[in-house]
Amino acid sequence: MIKFLRRIASDYKEYILLIVLSIISLTLLSKSEKPAAKQLQTFALGNFALISEITSSFTSVFRRDASLEELREENAALMLNVNRMRNAVLENEQLREMIAFKDTSRYPLIPAKVVSKLVTKIQGNFIINRGSNEGILKGMPVLSQKGLIGLIMDVTENYSIVRTLHNSNLNIAVTLQRTHVDGILNFDGRNLIVKDIPTTYDVQIGDRIETSDFSSLFPPAIPVGIVEKKETNVLGLLHNITIIPFADISSANNLFIMKIVPSKQMNDLEMNLLKQN
Amino acid sequence: MLKQIIKPVLIFIPLALIQLVIIPLISINDIAPNLVFVLIALMTLRNGQAYGTLLGFLLGFLLDIISGGIIGAYMFSFTLSAFIVGYFYNENKIELNTESFFFLLIIFIAGSVNAFIYASVSSDNSDLNFLLMLIEEGFLPGLYTAVFGLPMVIFTPKKGIT
Repeated sequence: MIKFLRRIASDYKEYILLIVLSIISLTLLSKSEKPAAKQLQTFALGNFALISEITSSFTSVFRRDASLEELREENAALMLNVNRMRNAVLENEQLREMIAFKDTSRYPLIPAKVVSKLVTKIQGNFIINRGSNEGILKGMPVLSQKGLIGLIMDVTENYSIVRTLHNSNLNIAVTLQRTHVDGILNFDGRNLIVKDIPTTYDVQIGDRIETSDFSSLFPPAIPVGIVEKKETNVLGLLHNITIIPFADISSANNLFIMKIVPSKQMNDLEMNLLKQN
Repeated sequence: MLKQIIKPVLIFIPLALIQLVIIPLISINDIAPNLVFVLIALMTLRNGQAYGTLLGFLLGFLLDIISGGIIGAYMFSFTLSAFIVGYFYNENKIELNTESFFFLLIIFIAGSVNAFIYASVSSDNSDLNFLLMLIEEGFLPGLYTAVFGLPMVIFTPKKGIT
């Protein structure tokens, strides 16, 4: 019997190895959000990101400019102000008061540089050179001077992981600025899509999309993108809206973290939902 | 055996740096080559299927923890694709397999499988178009990865390979 088992093990060792390693991989995959796995990743990331940052500084040597960073920061703050004013104009035009309208421009913006990127079609992640030492927390929004980029998903002392809009596991509550139609934005591997908007709602090509009041992860009125096209489903009852993001996510290099202090309970709830996705 | 593991791990460090810092700059529409996979394929073709599967598992784990991605995703995809590369291993044809254009074909096939598996396991979005994913997350990154196997074919001195 033992001889037989040995012979089997010897003849099929590659297959046995593959099965064992695949089971371990898949087990780790299912437990990747567990604290122990996160701790290990945080440790490795913190050390490796330092080397990445040094390498990254060589690649960006031709575009390093302190004044440029200041201007970018100012630009990002102005972008938020402009968007807020657009909202104000629309409010006046409609002679409607919006209750609990929040001023997003009051949140401080922390400039950050992208240290490394995980480039795949559906798993957009950045590592940036700001961490808990600068007061960065999980769940803080990340933007460029043009618009929303993503969300802080993990933080080490000096570095953070950003889940970008180009990540199919990130769902964001958004609203159409002109008509206040709400929806959930998601990346389908190719485009940013807001699904299942009733065809009776007024949606025009070129409408601006921003974060919604309903999201507790993101403050309202952060510009996200514009409507590129709308497709009606078979029954003709619902639209799927394709969005072009304002921010060039693929080539983003200088980012800003919006230092909001979200409600811890609410944030934990939403982050857990994101992890389940 | 230990030396056979340590050597690729040492090569992995600068390769992972290039993968995470330089490669994003040359990615085309978020389609990027995977240099770590080229290393795994090369080592598998030189040392055999079991060795390659183990190496894929190990380097996949390392890449997972330093890239900020989902732990287990590269582990699984590298393990499977290294196993596939292992089918092309022939100890009498190591040079032919690693220094001829056949090497590029192997990288293309296994690289496509690797990229597709990675995309499949790292996203649970059921709305993703399968065919589109197969092309954009499988074939195209596989093709781009194969391009990075070219230096092996071009710059390695040939010893009578036809």
